Amino acid sequence: MDNLLEELQSKTAFTIPILGGIPVADSCVVTWIIMAVIVLLSIIFTRKLKKVPTGSQCILEGIIDWLDNFFLGILGQKGKKYLPFLETLIIYIAFANLIGLFGFVPPTKDVNVTAALAGVAIIAVQLSFIIEKGPLKWLKSLLNPINLLDLVTRPLSLCMRLFGNVLGAFVVMELIKTGLCAIGVPVIASAYFDIFDGLLQAYVFVFLTSLYMAEAIEEE
Amino acid sequence: MGLIAIGAAIAVLTGAGAGVGIGIATAKATESIARQPEAKGDIRTALLLGCALAEATAIYGFVIAILIIGKA
Repeated sequence: MDNLLEELQSKTAFTIPILGGIPVADSCVVTWIIMAVIVLLSIIFTRKLKKVPTGSQCILEGIIDWLDNFFLGILGQKGKKYLPFLETLIIYIAFANLIGLFGFVPPTKDVNVTAALAGVAIIAVQLSFIIEKGPLKWLKSLLNPINLLDLVTRPLSLCMRLFGNVLGAFVVMELIKTGLCAIGVPVIASAYFDIFDGLLQAYVFVFLTSLYMAEAIEEE
Repeated sequence: MGLIAIGAAIAVLTGAGAGVGIGIATAKATESIARQPEAKGDIRTALLLGCALAEATAIYGFVIAILIIGKA
């Protein structure tokens, strides 16, 4: 049990030896690895793009098309400029949740990472409001106490939902591996918890962010 | 360790709300699929989304329980 609790804390991977040593957390290093993987994949898949797609370009266009239609359906045509941000968010969170399958510790198991993601999402929503309607209307909207409360509760719920799901999946997998049986059973459980739950939570996080954005930029 | 265990157990009772809520949602979803099988895709999407959101309150209870046990 103590072993389990130890693994719930985030560990320091290494320390940058300047200014008296800055500790770099485990999740930060895994995020760098994810960034490198995504950049490499982007470069590989976008070499020699043809007008009539074939092979891997087909799959790529299919995925991006589906994501585009999904977000445009929620945001409407005005939301075109926010598409890159939202699609990057969903790709990163999906990668981060799934990288547990490859033996790394998922960075979203660290509450700091999910809090940062939730903060970024809420700042993006407020910025979209300001871009579409101007800063004065944004300040006026804050006079309504419900909007002010939303500014606090929405990022909190986004952060806790993602963190809790990833942490719960991790705890259950550890319990199965150490308590039940280390071969066979974890595969089925992992298929549900890691893959299905990870993708679903990424989808829910970005869907809620785009919903808040749609609410912010809609015409009255 | 006794009171800590009771505290953590009470925190996880929030799972009951999630179970009831998702059960009712699934009941309505299967009803509407039976009534109009062509809308299967949309209903399935709405159901999954609703379940993920309702699950969140149960997850909050779980996180609090872990915090209680962790802080001893």
